Amino acid sequence: MRAPSPFHVALTHAALVALTVATLFPVLWVVKMALSPAQTFSMSANPLPTDVTLANFEAVVSTADGTGAWLFGRQLFNSLVVSGVTAALGVALACTAGYALSRWSFPGRDRLMGAFLLTQMFPGVVMAIPLYLLLDTLNLLDSLGGLILVYSTTTVPFATWNLKGYFDTIPKDLEEAAMLDGASRWTTFTRIILPLARPAIVVTALFAFMTAWNEFILAATLMGDERAYTLPVVLNGYVGEFGAEWGNFAAGAILVSLPVTALFFALQRHLVEGLTAGGVKG
Amino acid sequence: MILALLASAHADDVVLWHAWRGDERTALEQVVATWNGAHPDQQVRPVFVSYESLASKLEAAVPRGNGPDLFIFAHEKIAAWTADGIVLPVSEPSDARLHPVTLGALRLTDDPRLWGWPLAYKSLALFHNRALVPEPPATTDALLDVARGQRGADRWGFAWEASSAYAVAPWLHGYGGGVFGPDGVALDTPANVDALRFVETLARLGPAEPSGALLTQLFNEGRVAMIANGPWFLGEVSDTVDYGVAPLPVVSATGRPAAPYVTVETLFLARDDADARAFGAWMVTDGAASVRLDVGRQLVANADLPVTDPALAAFRAQLDAAVPMPTRREMGKTWEPVARALRRLVRGSVGPEAAAREAQTEYAIVSRPPPAPADPRPWWVLGAVAALAGVAWLAREVRGAPIAAWRFAYAWVAPSFIAMTLLVVLPFLVGAGVSLFEYHDQAWTFVGLANFLDIVLARDFPLSSPLSFWSTLLVTVLWTLANVVLHVGIGVALAMLLREPWVRMRGVFRALLILPWAIPSYITALVWKGMFHRQFGAINGLLEAVGLAPISWFAQWSTAFAANVTTNTWLGFPFMMVVTLGALQAIPRDLEEAAEIDGATGWQRFRNVTLPLLKPALLPAVILGSVWTFNMFNVIYLVSGGEPDGSTDILISQAYRWAFTRGHRYGYAAAYAVLIFGVLVVYGQAANRLAGKKVL
Amino acid sequence: MATLAFDGVEKRYGQVQVLHRVDLAVADGEFIVLVGPSGCGKSTLLRCIAGLEEITGGELRIDGRRVNDVAPRDRDVAMVFQSYALYPHMTVRENMGFALSLQKHPETKSRVDAAAEMLGLATLLDRYPRELSGGQRQRVAMGRAIVRRPKVFLFDEPLSNLDASLRNQVRVELRRQHAELRTTTVYVTHDQVEAMTLADRIVVLNGGVVQQVGTPSELFFEPSNRFVAGFIGSPGMNFLERLDDDIIGVRPNDVRFGPDEPFAAEVELVEQLGYEAMVHLRLGGETLIARVEGTVAPGAGRVGFARAYRFDRATGARLPDRPLSPRGA
Repeated sequence: MRAPSPFHVALTHAALVALTVATLFPVLWVVKMALSPAQTFSMSANPLPTDVTLANFEAVVSTADGTGAWLFGRQLFNSLVVSGVTAALGVALACTAGYALSRWSFPGRDRLMGAFLLTQMFPGVVMAIPLYLLLDTLNLLDSLGGLILVYSTTTVPFATWNLKGYFDTIPKDLEEAAMLDGASRWTTFTRIILPLARPAIVVTALFAFMTAWNEFILAATLMGDERAYTLPVVLNGYVGEFGAEWGNFAAGAILVSLPVTALFFALQRHLVEGLTAGGVKG
Repeated sequence: MILALLASAHADDVVLWHAWRGDERTALEQVVATWNGAHPDQQVRPVFVSYESLASKLEAAVPRGNGPDLFIFAHEKIAAWTADGIVLPVSEPSDARLHPVTLGALRLTDDPRLWGWPLAYKSLALFHNRALVPEPPATTDALLDVARGQRGADRWGFAWEASSAYAVAPWLHGYGGGVFGPDGVALDTPANVDALRFVETLARLGPAEPSGALLTQLFNEGRVAMIANGPWFLGEVSDTVDYGVAPLPVVSATGRPAAPYVTVETLFLARDDADARAFGAWMVTDGAASVRLDVGRQLVANADLPVTDPALAAFRAQLDAAVPMPTRREMGKTWEPVARALRRLVRGSVGPEAAAREAQTEYAIVSRPPPAPADPRPWWVLGAVAALAGVAWLAREVRGAPIAAWRFAYAWVAPSFIAMTLLVVLPFLVGAGVSLFEYHDQAWTFVGLANFLDIVLARDFPLSSPLSFWSTLLVTVLWTLANVVLHVGIGVALAMLLREPWVRMRGVFRALLILPWAIPSYITALVWKGMFHRQFGAINGLLEAVGLAPISWFAQWSTAFAANVTTNTWLGFPFMMVVTLGALQAIPRDLEEAAEIDGATGWQRFRNVTLPLLKPALLPAVILGSVWTFNMFNVIYLVSGGEPDGSTDILISQAYRWAFTRGHRYGYAAAYAVLIFGVLVVYGQAANRLAGKKVL
Repeated sequence: MATLAFDGVEKRYGQVQVLHRVDLAVADGEFIVLVGPSGCGKSTLLRCIAGLEEITGGELRIDGRRVNDVAPRDRDVAMVFQSYALYPHMTVRENMGFALSLQKHPETKSRVDAAAEMLGLATLLDRYPRELSGGQRQRVAMGRAIVRRPKVFLFDEPLSNLDASLRNQVRVELRRQHAELRTTTVYVTHDQVEAMTLADRIVVLNGGVVQQVGTPSELFFEPSNRFVAGFIGSPGMNFLERLDDDIIGVRPNDVRFGPDEPFAAEVELVEQLGYEAMVHLRLGGETLIARVEGTVAPGAGRVGFARAYRFDRATGARLPDRPLSPRGA
């Protein structure tokens, strides 16, 4: 292509810088709140911190429960377990289903596919009460297991859809070659298909992880004991109806966002491919 | 393994649920530790549960045997709780003299039993900054004088949560009004209208949108001279402020004292357990109470304990002019209508008379007795016919289909299918079933399609009311449309910029622009809510920095809606950007070069070459994205919260309110949910047709 | 090593029949080429042997064992795909050894090394497919099949993705390997040159029907119908429809020039190819292409045929040779 005019280049960069600054503004602001000694909002338009203290981080991290046990650690552990297992379980369920839907036109396949997508239209929050009753019946209330079960199933439809899209792009030749090489259906799936679908699996797992890592309404409804809380519930408590600890909230928000953001950047390379090469291309 | 981790190791402990924070919590834990030290066989384990979910959790858990042995909550729900068996009667405390108001609050009319141990009482009182107001005003006229006199550009004389029904109650009582008349709820009485007129005047003299957090901040910064607040504020007030506490002033027009509600923090017995009873009785002894008084700075119910702290003494004095929070069931349904009317009044969109009238009307709607029970028999028949038709349809589908040959394929989809059916479809079907019932006063009535008819025919509200289904649907559609247009517009524009190979630091830009996607959406929503704050938000800060007047973002529909859309746009454009970047990779650039050689301008190239090629990749993302946006609860609920007056609520947040904040009308909310699903199914069909292929 | 037997094999997708009663016996060690235009069913037939397609009628036997319902992996056949179907996430070594490693075969390494040596891939064993050229990938695909020592090799147009010079080279190599390994081979192509040079016997398919089975020279010299006659040989046979009651087929080599020849023809165009020239003639309003040695085209004049084939106008079936009886003559 022809070299663009210097004016064009300058304009493009200016637009990018402006939009990036606009994007970063709220983030810088959270950082400022987290580092400020006060628990309040500040009016100034300047998003750079003036007084710097780590007291908020310390306060958030060092919470303890009635027995003096380390509460934040426990809740972080809860969040990690719930999100990690959700991602693993959700993707495991979605992988087999997505592969079957991609490869085999068994009777009822299209209907099943439609049903999976239909569940995306269910209004989530309103289902909290039936879910509560159901988990109670299954005796899974107040347990991370119950939360994991709920999260992983809610992540399954999108995960299945995205993975199916990606599986569709893997040439059938490879499976046929593997079948002739003496591989069973399962071996073909685990040794050929799954390694090839890694970008999509990684991205899908990331989304499932994020779903669980970020959810707080169901977690607040289904979990009773603060030692069973996940971090979003804790965080929401800082600025809930009876709290306005913005400094702690901001510090907590940064702590909660950091792992996901790090994962996101680490997997950025896969993001475009895993999301678009498969599902969205349809 | 996880289940085992969570299983409580102390099955015999007396479990105590509470929502106390800060000093109160410290005091509670200290008292419990003392008890546990002295009673090794009767261990008590306090469990913190957030206040927001404590009541609903109790109501769900206790009847099913999952609840605690004891819990601490305000007394106001005892009428409902005694009827439902959530709380049990306790024996009269004999070891300590408790303030009669607190004991009285825990008895029902015509029933001598005591329904809990009163621990402490809470009410509003007047906090004044001694530097600004050395002597607290004794009358409302004096209060108005101070409010006027102290008012400056960025400072105020008096502030309180003017749009909270709880905070306005003292004035209602002071003017001789209140929530209840002789025949039940009576909000539109002349006395209440007089009180509201005063509220309107007083609110005008205070800061806009006075939330609890704002009051704390303003008072601590010395920018407001007086506030009406409760004892919880003692823990939040800054050391740098020299303040005093006094009872609320006397209403000049009537000569009566402004009487706030007093709520009694009560230790309730949820399970009949001797250890729990022993602990409860001990908790109200003067010895245990003195720790709560000294460490927790609680206004303990024990009448014999001397109150030396002047602030606590003022609250103690306020108790003589206070009204116990009504325990009648109707009370719970008055909060939202009154709060909505107050917000309208404070915002200036209605006058006192209309506000009182509307509060009464909306109360009538939320508390309306359930429709006449429908005859379930036709429904049984209908259900049976539907089930038969379903089975017949299934049989026809299955017959002749090579099911057996594909047995392995079914095995592959079975795990997720079963999980989805159990945990996604079943709850939804239960919800759909609930929509045929109405929940009223803890009882379910089968009402058939009455909920649907009420909603669709907009029977309770005029079509134009923000609470009517149709106007909410319109807002939801606008919301979805605005978001999708902005997401796609910004996402595609950025992707087009980012793909130019001569752009410097492309990777850095891309990484930074994806950032919003990585941050949890509820954090984003809460941060943006703060950024749009009238007094402290950065957006108004920016406006002022460039010389514009600050905006009350949530005071009118257009700006509140814009705030919601801004938040969600920030949240959602990276997804579209990434999708577009991926799709652009698949478009050979020589097509555009060919168009350039043919003389097409940049825009023409984009419009006629790039965009049509992007369409197949973008369309499914747009359709799926629009479904997600349609049900995007977090942003609406956390940013505008439906303000002003529910007009920015979308269908799903409206449904949530009917279920959880407007009198627990579960059936009505479930009918909303079914309608939302119906709308989306219709949309999905239309979208498929539009896309020319099956997306949804 | 094995024999293959097709006994009335049919394949149908719903209402569409893609293979009609195929009968064929392949001898042990034979190199069979399936040839025909695209869509003729040759790939389907190959996939039926592999077990990738189910047979809907008739019987297929490998080494005498009926395999209609035997899963692909239990048939002990190896296939080289048109796309090569190399596993992108495995190195050359892993690709070639995949089948044996599934069986935990003790000789995996030695056999892979031997095959790599034979195919000149020894230095590429640790590379990934994406790091190889087209020809190298093709050889890896062959190596993957060779390593297994299967009963039958199947090739699905394995040379179609290579450029012309490489194609010739690989073709020779294939033939040499077959001479060495003597594994029963079924090879699908639409290129009749490949068919002619590689095959012990050729099966010509059209519309799912076997047209003729025979050695390359049988097919060339004694085609059983007009389709085979036109498909085999390059440039193809001339068909003259106006010369006789039947359709007359003449191979370009069989056109003779001379003053005594029976037909008058006009030279329209001469294509000089170096060793030979293609002469486009006009004969009684029809086009006839003649192939002549040398670089100089003969002048216009009269032509005759060293050999003429005769085909039925309606069915295209070959008719017994007899002298031409020019229409209207």
